Amino acid sequence: MTGPTDTNGRTVASLRELPQSIEPARDLWPGIESQLTALPAQDSAQGAGPGYRRALRLRWLAAAAMLSCLAVGIWIGRSLLPGAAVGHLPPSTASRSTVPGLAPTALDAAYVSDPRYERQRRALVRALQERLAVLPPPARAKVTASLAAIEKAKKDLEGALGQDPGNALLQELLINTYQDEMRVLTDVHEASDSGRGI
Amino acid sequence: MRIALSLTLALLPLLAATTASASSDKTFDQQVPAQPRGVVEISNVSGSIQVSGWERNDVSVHAELDAGVERVDVSSDGGRTTIKVIVAHSSSDGGEARLQVKIPKDSELNVSAVNADLTSSGVLGVQHLSAVSGNITAELGGADGELKTVSGDLRLKAHGLPARLHVSTVSGDVYLEHGAGDLEASTVNGTLILSLDGARSVRARTTAGDVRFEGKLTRGATLEASTVSGDLNVRASAEGGYAYEVSSFSGDITDCFNASPERVSKYGPGSRLEGTRGEGAGHLRLKTMSGDVQLCDRP
Repeated sequence: MTGPTDTNGRTVASLRELPQSIEPARDLWPGIESQLTALPAQDSAQGAGPGYRRALRLRWLAAAAMLSCLAVGIWIGRSLLPGAAVGHLPPSTASRSTVPGLAPTALDAAYVSDPRYERQRRALVRALQERLAVLPPPARAKVTASLAAIEKAKKDLEGALGQDPGNALLQELLINTYQDEMRVLTDVHEASDSGRGI
Repeated sequence: MRIALSLTLALLPLLAATTASASSDKTFDQQVPAQPRGVVEISNVSGSIQVSGWERNDVSVHAELDAGVERVDVSSDGGRTTIKVIVAHSSSDGGEARLQVKIPKDSELNVSAVNADLTSSGVLGVQHLSAVSGNITAELGGADGELKTVSGDLRLKAHGLPARLHVSTVSGDVYLEHGAGDLEASTVNGTLILSLDGARSVRARTTAGDVRFEGKLTRGATLEASTVSGDLNVRASAEGGYAYEVSSFSGDITDCFNASPERVSKYGPGSRLEGTRGEGAGHLRLKTMSGDVQLCDRP
């Protein structure tokens, strides 16, 4: 497999090797200008033809899409962000302050918007206290410390992202940390199951 | 004083006998025929499990059982041998069982434990070992392996034979010697100490623990290591060299070949080190938020 090449046919290994701008081979403006001046005459000639109706339909679709986005945004704000109605949260979630670090934050909504993920995570967090109680005390202490480490990492990364929101490194590490949190929650879940099952 | 000493010495054997009796109430021994490449499954709640591979086509079980253990079930059917420690429901402490199991060396081994240490040696087949709070010590014979513990440590010794290994712990450390092939290793706040003789693909990840990698990469291999607040220390040589990308948001980046990291932004934190060693056939990516990174192209 060969990599991408630049305009001279050389293999490009990095984005920096690409030219910053590419001049067209000829002046394109006269052609564009003539087409622009021809457009109003075309429109008046066609009146409310199929092109006009298509444009009208596209406008309605755009408005509907905007309304949908707004509704999803309101739903995320009401159900996921801090300050969401406490009454909607299960009691075990509301009283889980002894378990470090599992409160959803504003960035949770931004990075973790898959409803299936959110549903699974919520279920695992809800059962966490019960699952931890099944573990031997030394293991429970260690796992609690690990969850605290994950929570601290999330807060540190979110703090750093607050200063540098576009930082790809921090975004990647934050996603890794969410994945690690999920892995720990799943492992604890499975571990307590095996304790019961054997 | 002399009388007290004599009395103590006289009581010692009695004390030892009492302790021995308390630690092992009964023993269990059974041997069943097994297929040379069959599957052996072992489960135990508490105590220890030692498994070793041998040349015979039998599975042999020796167990020392505490009073809380009701029985040990051993069954063999159609190439699958199952060993299960059954704990009495009335037992308050769960009951410890210390198992010593010998299996045909080419068997596939599946072990599941809760509060028990696992040890395997001389087993050449695939190994799936999992424990909740026990440590896992395993000798890997070139077959694939999945080894997992929640709060224990993993100590693995391979023989440089390529295999796919997946090792994970939540809060323990991972030590791997003479690994080869494909490795995926992760811990949250433990340390990963990895030594590989010929790695094709390595992915190592921690949240707050350090990663130390030392070894050789095969031609075109990839190595990715990331941590949020731990340090990364990578000493890797590779046939055909590698292209490297090292990024840290607020940590320091150093190397042993005099390349200088560059700042990512004129005003904010962050540094990056990019370049190529040798032909650049492989790829090496190291990422951390606040940890330091040390990179060297020789072990």
